[in-house]
Amino acid sequence: MLNHMLNAFRTYMHGDGAVLLPEMQLFLFAIGTLAMDSWAANTSNEKPDGNPVFQQKYWNPALALAGTAFSAVTLWMLRARIMQSGELAGFHLTLVVDSYFVFFSALFLAATALVILLSVNCPTISPMRQGRYYALLLFACMGMMLMVSAVDLLVIFLAMESAAISAYFLAATSGLSNRTPSAAVKFLFSSALGSALVAYAFSLLYGLSGATNISQIAGALARRHNVAKVIALSHESGLQGLQMLQLLQTRLPEAVHWHAFTLEALPIAAFLLVSVGMILKFAAPPFQVEFNRVNGEADFGIPSPVILYLSGAYAIAAVALLLRTSFTIFADSQNIWWYIIAALAIGGISYGVLGSLRQNNLERIIVYLSIAHMGYVLLGVVAANEGAATAMTYYLFTYFFVLTGALGILMVVRGTNSFAGVLSDLGGLRQRSTVTALLLIIFVLSLAGVPPTAGFFGRYFIFHSLWETGHRYIAWFVALSSLPAAYSYLRIAVFARRGKTSETESAAVSFGIPEAIVLGICVFVSLAAGLYSEPFTRMARYAFGQ
Amino acid sequence: MLPVAHYLFLSFALFSIGIVGAITRRNLIVKLLSIEIILNGASINFMAFGRLYGNASGQVFAVLAVAMLTLELLVALVIIAAVCSRWKCAMPDDDQNLASRLDY
Repeated sequence: MLNHMLNAFRTYMHGDGAVLLPEMQLFLFAIGTLAMDSWAANTSNEKPDGNPVFQQKYWNPALALAGTAFSAVTLWMLRARIMQSGELAGFHLTLVVDSYFVFFSALFLAATALVILLSVNCPTISPMRQGRYYALLLFACMGMMLMVSAVDLLVIFLAMESAAISAYFLAATSGLSNRTPSAAVKFLFSSALGSALVAYAFSLLYGLSGATNISQIAGALARRHNVAKVIALSHESGLQGLQMLQLLQTRLPEAVHWHAFTLEALPIAAFLLVSVGMILKFAAPPFQVEFNRVNGEADFGIPSPVILYLSGAYAIAAVALLLRTSFTIFADSQNIWWYIIAALAIGGISYGVLGSLRQNNLERIIVYLSIAHMGYVLLGVVAANEGAATAMTYYLFTYFFVLTGALGILMVVRGTNSFAGVLSDLGGLRQRSTVTALLLIIFVLSLAGVPPTAGFFGRYFIFHSLWETGHRYIAWFVALSSLPAAYSYLRIAVFARRGKTSETESAAVSFGIPEAIVLGICVFVSLAAGLYSEPFTRMARYAFGQ
Repeated sequence: MLPVAHYLFLSFALFSIGIVGAITRRNLIVKLLSIEIILNGASINFMAFGRLYGNASGQVFAVLAVAMLTLELLVALVIIAAVCSRWKCAMPDDDQNLASRLDY
């Protein structure tokens, strides 16, 4: 009996189970973190000398980190397996493991691990029941990994929701414990509206194709021009029209119900709804207005690591899903929909850049400009050649690390004294800690896109692919809009360099080991990817299987 | 059998009502209900197309959409309740009614 069950388990693990294994591990570790936390809260949990046996402050993040590590090892093994035998598919072709999944999952796992490390010493997180917080991070990561793994509309929808609901709770539980919950409410509403729009678009896609698998939908949409022509012919009077109608009724009975125009127009409407919904739901331009207000109220309570998670990893997940859908489902009508994406991206860039110019709060400047960065990535979809694919993945990868570095430094500085987060508070940072000031300047220069750093190459690759494919006006827009963005970033660098302004504050900035590890990794990526970009571009090319 | 276009018109009407409601109304509960109306439009589409093609995916999607809706509603109501207690809008001696205090 036991043997039989073990055999069944083994077969499952070699078949469908393998496809879902990294996500399953994250799920188990999240449950484990919750269980350990509640066990520690409910037992006496004290040694004879009065110290707790189980220090939640360190055990919870350690357990969550172990979850990401286990998942990453499994992912590495899956990578070796797909290199040998091509991509894996499971659960009736609803989930796949391909190089795109491996690349983005690795990025999400790294992002989650960095956010966990940053949360250990974060003063705004420690009072909360921490097990819940770390478990939510793991659940959100699981949802994001499923988002890039799913190739069926149903599963895409479920994955999106599971990531989103974790994110609502992350924003809400941390926001509610402080002054204003309205940030969480706004985030919830824009996100729920986004998922409703995406669901409506999915219903249209299902109606146009009769299938829920995205490659089958793509096939049906590619045939739609011919079907539309036949339908138009069948509506003509005379013998020819009648013959066409008979032909349609025998060969494609569903098509009789359609009108030629709706068949041509509905896919574009569906694309518009998917892209607006996805953008509204998570991050990118221009509807991040609402989302951004969530992040914008950083100084009112949402802890920096959560801001980082929502405006970094979460935004990347949305862009990754948008790329997957637009390059498979809508692949054959790229010449029509690139106008939509270009308009959304340019709107987002302008909004982010102009909005950042009049901000005085450090985190707001960075979060406003994160909209602009997602806009630059989306412009790669407009170019849609091989170089653009590499550019987009390289940009997303390096951007996350640089953003983590910049927000991490601000968190470290904020932790030491009554730092309100305004630009002028940075005055005297150089005297307080030379290393911190130097690191902040490196990250800010990289975000601004100054040459020897990763930020420059990301934007240059996007510019180059736009120029190559003949979208020269958009390429000029990329170059020119970088100037005001750079101005916003350089303002931070100038303030960080400036001497002491007030006599009162002179406490030295100190970091713990977790922050030091995070900042070390981030500064390595932002400099190495700029100075010697070859391994990083090779990694970016891997995402699209090149 | 009704042609599929009839169902499409109905669901499009629901979609438009929902969009207008979600954008223009400022009451949290009404906003939430408008979003639910959009999802109901999507469910009607799924059912209609599922019947047209004679496969079950449409109905499965509709059922899942309802399940997801319930979850989202639950989360939203929890957050609204928290907002409510923070903004003291549900105090019994409050002379303003509950609905108007839910605006933001």
